[in-house]
Amino acid sequence: MLPLPSFAYEAPDTRDDLLALAATPGARLLAGGTDLLPSLKHRLFSPSTLVSLRRAPGLRGVHLTDGELSIGAAQTLLAVRRHPLVGEHLPALADACAGVATRTIQAMGTLGGNLMLDTRCVYYNQPVGWRAAVNGCLKCEGDTCHVARTGDGCYAAHSADTVPVLWLMGARVRLESTSGVRELPVRELYDREDGRRWLRSNPGEVLTRIIVPLPRHPIIHRKVRLRASIDYAAVLVAVERSPEAARAVISAIGPAPIEVSSADPAELPKLAYKASVPLRTHVMATTWRRHMVRVSVRRALEQTAP
Amino acid sequence: MTAGYMGPPDTHARAPAEGGVVGGGGRGKIDGLGKIVGTARFTADLKLPRMAFAKVLRSPHAHARIASLEAAAARAMPGVLDVITGEDVPVRYGAIPVGQDETALALNKVRYIGEPVACVCARTEEQAAEACRAIRVVYEPLPAILTIDQALDRSQPLIHEWRRKKSNVLRRVFQSYGDVDAALEAADLVIEQEYEYPGSTHVPLETHAALAVPEPDGRLKLYSSTQNPHYMHRTLARVLKMEQQHIRVIKPEVGAGYGGKCDTFVTDVCASVLARRLGRPVRFELEREEVFYAHRGRHRTRMWLKMGMNRDGTITAVDFKAWADGGAYASFGVVTSYYLGVFGTIPYKLENYRFTSHRVYTNHPPCGPKRGHGAIQPRFALEMHIDRMATELDLDPAAVRRINCVEPFTDTVNGLRVTSVALKECIDAVVAASGYHDKRGKLPPGRGIGLAASAYMCGALHGVYQNDMPHSGVQVKVDRSGRVTIFSGTADVGQGSNHMLACLVAERLGIHPEDCTVIEADTDLTPVDLGSYSSRVTFMAGNAAVDAADKLRATILAAAAQKLGQPVEALVARDRVISVRDQPDVKLTWRKAVDLAESATGTLGATGSYRPPKIGNRFRRQSVGPSPSYSFTAQVAEVTVDEETGVLTVDRVWCAHDLGRTLHREIAEGQIEGCVYMGVGEALCEDQTYERGLMRTPSILEYRIPTIDDVPEIFVELIESHDPEGPFGAKECGEGPQLSTVPAIGNAIHDAVGVWMGRPPYTPDRLFRALRRK
Repeated sequence: MLPLPSFAYEAPDTRDDLLALAATPGARLLAGGTDLLPSLKHRLFSPSTLVSLRRAPGLRGVHLTDGELSIGAAQTLLAVRRHPLVGEHLPALADACAGVATRTIQAMGTLGGNLMLDTRCVYYNQPVGWRAAVNGCLKCEGDTCHVARTGDGCYAAHSADTVPVLWLMGARVRLESTSGVRELPVRELYDREDGRRWLRSNPGEVLTRIIVPLPRHPIIHRKVRLRASIDYAAVLVAVERSPEAARAVISAIGPAPIEVSSADPAELPKLAYKASVPLRTHVMATTWRRHMVRVSVRRALEQTAP
Repeated sequence: MTAGYMGPPDTHARAPAEGGVVGGGGRGKIDGLGKIVGTARFTADLKLPRMAFAKVLRSPHAHARIASLEAAAARAMPGVLDVITGEDVPVRYGAIPVGQDETALALNKVRYIGEPVACVCARTEEQAAEACRAIRVVYEPLPAILTIDQALDRSQPLIHEWRRKKSNVLRRVFQSYGDVDAALEAADLVIEQEYEYPGSTHVPLETHAALAVPEPDGRLKLYSSTQNPHYMHRTLARVLKMEQQHIRVIKPEVGAGYGGKCDTFVTDVCASVLARRLGRPVRFELEREEVFYAHRGRHRTRMWLKMGMNRDGTITAVDFKAWADGGAYASFGVVTSYYLGVFGTIPYKLENYRFTSHRVYTNHPPCGPKRGHGAIQPRFALEMHIDRMATELDLDPAAVRRINCVEPFTDTVNGLRVTSVALKECIDAVVAASGYHDKRGKLPPGRGIGLAASAYMCGALHGVYQNDMPHSGVQVKVDRSGRVTIFSGTADVGQGSNHMLACLVAERLGIHPEDCTVIEADTDLTPVDLGSYSSRVTFMAGNAAVDAADKLRATILAAAAQKLGQPVEALVARDRVISVRDQPDVKLTWRKAVDLAESATGTLGATGSYRPPKIGNRFRRQSVGPSPSYSFTAQVAEVTVDEETGVLTVDRVWCAHDLGRTLHREIAEGQIEGCVYMGVGEALCEDQTYERGLMRTPSILEYRIPTIDDVPEIFVELIESHDPEGPFGAKECGEGPQLSTVPAIGNAIHDAVGVWMGRPPYTPDRLFRALRRK
């Protein structure tokens, strides 16, 4: 048994309590916990309080209003993927949810949790003793990044399966805190400069809902992984094709997804390839992952072809 | 070659299974239900009053001297009961007598990252883990030996400086038979090629665990998740400096081993030492990460192979070299060094054969036996090589294998005595079932089919220590209810050996397996069996069980014969009834017969044992490799390779295995499917990689084994050759079938995309690189 560190546990059942607790220093939100709890066991960070979203109001349900789908952040990935409105209007989001880990993880993990997912790296997501053997990881306790020893940044990769499609759909997240409510486009939620500070939300903000305008053009999600299930992505792409342009969002290669677009869809795979510089955050060879960006974008485009 | 040996005269090999159990299937394992409903108790499920918990601190250095170790702060932490270090467990031990080189906790220096350095015992597991972090160790790092070349370089520092032999080579084996050079000279085609096989590990579902219980009379009881209770019993006596009879080793349910639980581990030694020091039960369970450091898995092996073949496909000579990275300790490494070479003469007859193998020490976690121990790597190279040469000569690889098959009841050039062989039948079966000839070279681009064959041992002729005693003993007793209890020292680790013993005893007594209780692996209760390794259990313990059952059968049938007024030979025992052959109405129930027998002779019981035949060997040095019998396998894999991405899909595998005789169909098929599964894992993704001595992927998220979605359709065919040595003619089926999976897939990749992949796993990035170079 890998023991958890000790922490206080709160499960507020009103919005006010939730926002007040979320604002306490050292607090961390607990949704499905499928990524958070293993990370705690690995001592990647040590919150003093876990604030569970289990009983909090307003974080569930899927509604269609004014051409936008509003999805509760605490809705499980399995529930999202099985929801008829999602199936009808956002099939690419259902595909992305279906690609997360395994069905049991999907039944615990939430859409909000996926959007707020920590960045991953084979040097970061390791037990304490392992990291000690490499003198620590920059994102945690160390002073050197093992995937880019000469730089001073962290390159842990953004690996949230649902983000590329939501980004292309123009989805927004609702962030609530004791100081108010704001909405932020998914494309502005992430910072690609440093894998240690990959989120642009503020401390104390709670992601409550994901608002997705119904897409006008076909969107395709593709996930590259070694095995047919369980594995997190070696490369993630989402592609949208409109009459004017083709756009791709590429992820799992750096701290945040990147977007490329071209009026000429045939140019898109090459542009995506050029923009993608995967580092050794994953066990698969970087040259192959970069190659897979090109192949995946091209294959996704072929899937969008009428 | 010498022929003429036809096996012992009196055997059940071809006897009809009169009891109606052998060869059947359909009956669930007698101990299966508990594992399904969750009542089965594994070591880590056991709880005792006052039980304390142990955890270890592990080395962050691959090679370093321990300058100082300060545990006072840890001792003062809440709940901490004791802290022990290398000095408290200084006796060196090891799996075999010539490899006694490890201590449970590092003594003076550490030799791999993850090596246990100090062990804390506390009231809770959390407290023990917390206290481990408070131990301060100052290390003086030493240059680490991380490659085979470094290990062979005599100018490098020694990993074990105390050894008499001043070298990092644990064992070098050289053997030569016939005239290899002349035969290569004369061959129509000679190809030489390098190969590499990666390291891999077992990933048993259950992590290693031990629970040590001090008894009031000073004895020690140890529950352990072990494959080899008897060897552990001996080792513990040595390490704990106790009389062996004062130790009792019990193996509860074990969640698989695959060779990974053959050694004595830090869990066993430290739990025992702490329990005795503290006078209370101590449980010690490894975390998943720690299982990767405990390792004892497949040796990463570099190989060089030169083969001569004539235009008709006859293999004329093989020259083979292997270098295996064994990690920091010997484990079964001396055996590995032999297994890398000795099986080169089987399954194909070969007059001229030479091999050199090296098993070296490095600063990696220690390697040991993994399913197909030491034989997997050379078989991979040989089977890929045969296809390469057949392709060069424009011959059918199936035909080439067929004409070279070793013949039944012959000796190999290196002195292995071969009994039954049904390899040709295996090849024919998979070739026909898969449509090999219609598909090879004819499938659409990116799709291919490949064949490979192999042989494996059914237990070793010699145990790990020299003696003339049986390798397996079984005791059978009968209750007045008619229920039969089988006592055996075997370790069922999930493979189903308990059920096999029940089947064999039930077959001979004419009852059902579910009428039997198997008491296994408890050194106070059960006769010695050497353990679950080298595919020996069903074969050896099975023979012992038949021996015991036959003695009991004689007693009971004699009483029945007297009652029925018939000669014993006229009786048939089946379905809990003893009746007269051809007169089914003249009968007695089993229960009645038991009453009569006990009345006539007293308490009913019998012991049986098995010792392998003494096979006169022309080569005295050949003590590792000989087995009473060998199993044979042929396998065909059909694959799809995405030429743009390098992604390999194994679509279907056909596996025909000569298992001598089927004792229980589902268990045999399950073992064979398990072998194919593990082979597919080593073909697709399993790769034990290190970065400066650090195992890169010590978790089952990053160390990828196939999920059910990655497993091909598997078609198993059981081929019977009725071996004269095995119980009812049975041979092994739990390891051998894995040998040919990876090369069959490798050969299928060549058929699909025209590249020879000389090193598994065939991950997409490797295949992509190979396709680019094409």
